[in-house]
Amino acid sequence: INNSYHWPTKPIRHLCLMKLWISTTHLLSFLQTITGIFLAMHYSPDISLAFSSVVHITRDVQYGWLIRNMHANGASLFFMCIYLHIGRGIYYGSYLYKETWNTGITLLLLTMATAFVGYVLPWGQMSFWGATVITNLLSAIPYVGDTLVQWIWGGFSVDNATLTRFFTFHFLLPFTIMGLTMMHLLFLHETGSNNPTGLNSNTDKIPFHPYFSYKDLLGLILNTSLPTDPSHYSSLTYCETPTTLHQPTLYPPHHMLNQNDTSYSPMQSYDQSQTNQEEYSLYNSPFSYYFKYLPYMHQNNEQPQFRPLTQILFWSLIANLLVLNMNRSATSCKIHSSSSDQYPLFFYFSKFYQSLYLLQVHSKT
Amino acid sequence: MVSASGRLLEGFRKWYYNAAGFNKLGLMRDDTLYENDDVKAALKRLPENAYNERLFRIKRALDLSMKQQILPEEQWVKYEEDKKYLEPYLKEVIRERLEREEWDKK
Repeated sequence: INNSYHWPTKPIRHLCLMKLWISTTHLLSFLQTITGIFLAMHYSPDISLAFSSVVHITRDVQYGWLIRNMHANGASLFFMCIYLHIGRGIYYGSYLYKETWNTGITLLLLTMATAFVGYVLPWGQMSFWGATVITNLLSAIPYVGDTLVQWIWGGFSVDNATLTRFFTFHFLLPFTIMGLTMMHLLFLHETGSNNPTGLNSNTDKIPFHPYFSYKDLLGLILNTSLPTDPSHYSSLTYCETPTTLHQPTLYPPHHMLNQNDTSYSPMQSYDQSQTNQEEYSLYNSPFSYYFKYLPYMHQNNEQPQFRPLTQILFWSLIANLLVLNMNRSATSCKIHSSSSDQYPLFFYFSKFYQSLYLLQVHSKT
Repeated sequence: MVSASGRLLEGFRKWYYNAAGFNKLGLMRDDTLYENDDVKAALKRLPENAYNERLFRIKRALDLSMKQQILPEEQWVKYEEDKKYLEPYLKEVIRERLEREEWDKK
């Protein structure tokens, strides 16, 4: 029986909060596109005009403040939903659907790239130095690193050429993400969705309407109410350097090391505790390989949700990520001491090797 | 010494079996195996009554999971009662596949 026949129906156990994250993500991506298009109508991608165009949007454009803040906060909410979606996938072994998982990893990387180039556009202090630091990571590549960085910059530093091309990428990449999302769903419909038990549920399915249509409506209501919540538009904490300082200085001020961006949470904590780019890039690679090779590290037929050791590993990973986030958003403005960030980060990166060991040993029990 | 460590290991296995939690949904270990190609082929070789019993346990577990419930304790599958009913067929399927792959290499 072809599994794709079943995709208009879904198991009733999907009526849980887990599925709410991805329907919210879809609606958020639609909201981000709409608000982004309206922002693009008033934004100028030139270093002498960018910052003041954002101020113009916020102050002068009708409901520009709402559109701008919905776009900025919507991006954070988007990432929170994606991380929950990924966490669900790891916990319940959904990574065993390899094509769906791999397109999902690519979607995550594209989304992070979109968020990064979008963050540069207001051309504030955080924008400039964030662009400088992240693009400079590529200089860790042997031989071609420096040339590659200058090629991306379009010059010898982050300047007007960089801003204009980042605006282009920020406009283009979401449509790439939309196309790849359709591929992601196509692969999912080949197998059908997973469920909390991990069992084959083809014998027990229910129609999309009314169960999932009403549930997605709930996601729509939550999704439109959360970004318009005025409490998200309060002034930044005293620890953050606001993007209102639009004259870049020669060196980044120390108090800028703290920021409240959820896009790259564990990595930024590492960034603040390391100065060596080669080390950073080297240690960063297990992060991406962990997710990419998770399906291939699963060497037996057992479901991860029924394996206590795997559950302990998963929840220790979540706790570790929360500690890293806590370190980043701590109220103290002092530069992070190396030990408070490096111990959690060491634990985080060692997860890759722990998983390899546990998954191999566990398969024999 | 050997028997003491054997009892210890058996005790750990029993504890681990209960900690896994699938027995609370009325499932046996072989019910929870991920259905890759080998498992699918082994399922086709199951006797009809074993296959029907498996389907019943799976359907019951899916229903319980949806309702966020578990079975009463007296109905939990015990470690001693768990039968690895699929294992002989699965081993046979894997053996045949490996033999086929060996032949294809030549």
